[in-house]
Amino acid sequence: MRRIESRLNTRSEEFCSRAQHNRRLAADLKELQRRTRDERPQRDVDRLRRQSKKPVRERIALLLDPGTPFLELSTLAANMAYDGEVPGAGIVSGIGIVSGREVIIHADDASVKGGAWYPLSVKKIVRTLDIAIENRLPVVHLCDSAGGFLPAQADLFADRYLAGRIFRNQAILSKLGVPQVAIVLGHCTAGGAYVPALSEYSVIVKGTGAIFLGGPPLVKAATGEEVTVDDLGGARVHTSISGTADYPADNEDHAIAIAREIVGQLRQAEKWPLDWATPEAPYYDPNELYGVIPTDIKQQFDMREVIARTVDGSRFHEYQPAYGATLICGFARVWGYKVGILANNGVIFNDSALKGAHFMQLCDQTRVPMLFLQNITGYMVGREYEHRGITKDGAKMIMAVSGAEVPKITVICNGSFGAGNYGMSGRAFDPRFLFMWPQSQISVMGGEQAANVLADIKVRQLARSGQTLSAAEIVGIREPIQEEYRRLSSAYYSTSQLWDDGILDPVDTRNALGMAISATLNAPIGQPHYGVFRM
Amino acid sequence: MRHSFTIADRDHAVWLARAGAAYRLHVGGRSMSVSLEPAADGAGVLQFDGARHDVVMARDGDVTHLHIDGEAFAVRYTDPVRRHAGSSADAAEDVALAPMPGTVVAVNVQPGERVAAGQTLVVIESMKLETSIKAWREGSVAAVHVAKGDPFERSAPLVTLAPEARAR
Repeated sequence: MRRIESRLNTRSEEFCSRAQHNRRLAADLKELQRRTRDERPQRDVDRLRRQSKKPVRERIALLLDPGTPFLELSTLAANMAYDGEVPGAGIVSGIGIVSGREVIIHADDASVKGGAWYPLSVKKIVRTLDIAIENRLPVVHLCDSAGGFLPAQADLFADRYLAGRIFRNQAILSKLGVPQVAIVLGHCTAGGAYVPALSEYSVIVKGTGAIFLGGPPLVKAATGEEVTVDDLGGARVHTSISGTADYPADNEDHAIAIAREIVGQLRQAEKWPLDWATPEAPYYDPNELYGVIPTDIKQQFDMREVIARTVDGSRFHEYQPAYGATLICGFARVWGYKVGILANNGVIFNDSALKGAHFMQLCDQTRVPMLFLQNITGYMVGREYEHRGITKDGAKMIMAVSGAEVPKITVICNGSFGAGNYGMSGRAFDPRFLFMWPQSQISVMGGEQAANVLADIKVRQLARSGQTLSAAEIVGIREPIQEEYRRLSSAYYSTSQLWDDGILDPVDTRNALGMAISATLNAPIGQPHYGVFRM
Repeated sequence: MRHSFTIADRDHAVWLARAGAAYRLHVGGRSMSVSLEPAADGAGVLQFDGARHDVVMARDGDVTHLHIDGEAFAVRYTDPVRRHAGSSADAAEDVALAPMPGTVVAVNVQPGERVAAGQTLVVIESMKLETSIKAWREGSVAAVHVAKGDPFERSAPLVTLAPEARAR
């Protein structure tokens, strides 16, 4: 494959100002991640120490094979919810290597509200198990949760994708033959009690671990029976009397050592035999990505410069280079794995939409995973384009992206607006993983345009009641709308709501993709078949 | 979680990680490339960061006897599950419970007596089978809950050992 010829001038003023701007955004991201991971109120830290419990990240570090990478997912979940008081939604999730096997980890963080599950905690656990199902990844649960956060119970309990889905997903994993190991390091109360019960293997720590549907206070209230935690659902009870848990452990280290031994005897996954070559670092330095991304989302940039700083050897076989030029399609390798790339280079016209739908079928037919690099303002509008069938051409992309059997991975590099989000494998189209860059924006239409529309409606309403507004008053109406729109379309809001699997520092994208692609290959890939394309 | 080896009573936590076609050894905060070219009769050449050492090795279960640069070492591997077992705060650990209903045939110890691990405490009979209840650790007998000839149900306490602070 040929190397992309970069046209980037790394000495230009534009490059330097962009680099400075984006490096600052990356530093802000890292700082917020650090606070989310490590900063906890002293009383919570002290309480864990009193209970001789380790912080969740120490537990994960002990569980993983030393020196191997850990792809943490949705680190900043809930960063804009619950007044910022539930860092990471109280859950740590990610993909790592345990005893030589790729696994996904779900870990309750007892330093956050005693590990109580908030609505977004439930969403994060369900997403973790969805990833396990889609990619056939064994799961290790580190259980230490006080149960659902009662004041928010209406938002976490009954609906299809709420708490019950955690247990439904566990049962489906078991049915698919994907094993789960639970380590009970604290209390598993109420629904949380089902997590170890539905795992094929469960380890429970004597003294601190306990499993029960109702804790001692609830039992006392319900039946008057007085019983201690240990006698109700401690390690001895469950490993020697009830059979709810399998292995008693003397302490946390012992429990984690047992879990590592269990994972070590699981069958090694037979991976999908994807075309692979010895990896090669990109020829162009990924650090130059900071100078590629514009400071203003309205400025256009060449997505080939992003591809050149992400793929092996900066090599790219471009498909249909002269047709539908606003959608770049072609083949490349990431950490040796062959991928088909679809990358936006402007608004999608009829020809770019046809090219996209065609290339997706080509990837599916040749069994090559697809990588979507989004920077999309939408499909072209207007009389001419409607007459040419822009809507039915967009529908072809949606038909192709929804029906494709090969794994899809999406990175929102800059803008993700309107129907462009759909055709380019947005969250609703089941990409196996979806990541965002820190400055990117996601909304049904551009923030500025939307704010103008909303402000105009308001101005007209006031005009009807006979009021005229000065220019300053119109700005006074528009500004707050725009500000709120900016907030709700930011990458941080998206990741807070788990519309994605995490925000990436652009230079980390290549590594994240390597681990993500590797994870997808644990699942079999079905034969290509589609719905009806409107021609 | 790293592997644990003991050399001359000192514990060492190490990890061997794949690095391309070769391996890296992680010890403390350091890591180094490492390789072993085996030759006949347990001899071989061990390389750390390119420095070559002639070695002779003999394995005996979890212990490897190693002769390197004119010195001999015994390197003992401790399985991580075994290494971390042993310290918990569970009082139930101190009581022998009846594994099945039956009667007491013999009581061999008295409260206050020191017992060694594996020593028979009481003998029970159940379903035409005699079973010796043995001390699961060293300790002193705190209480004997049954007398010769007593019947008992499943999970009845038989003997309690005095709780002891156990070293990790």
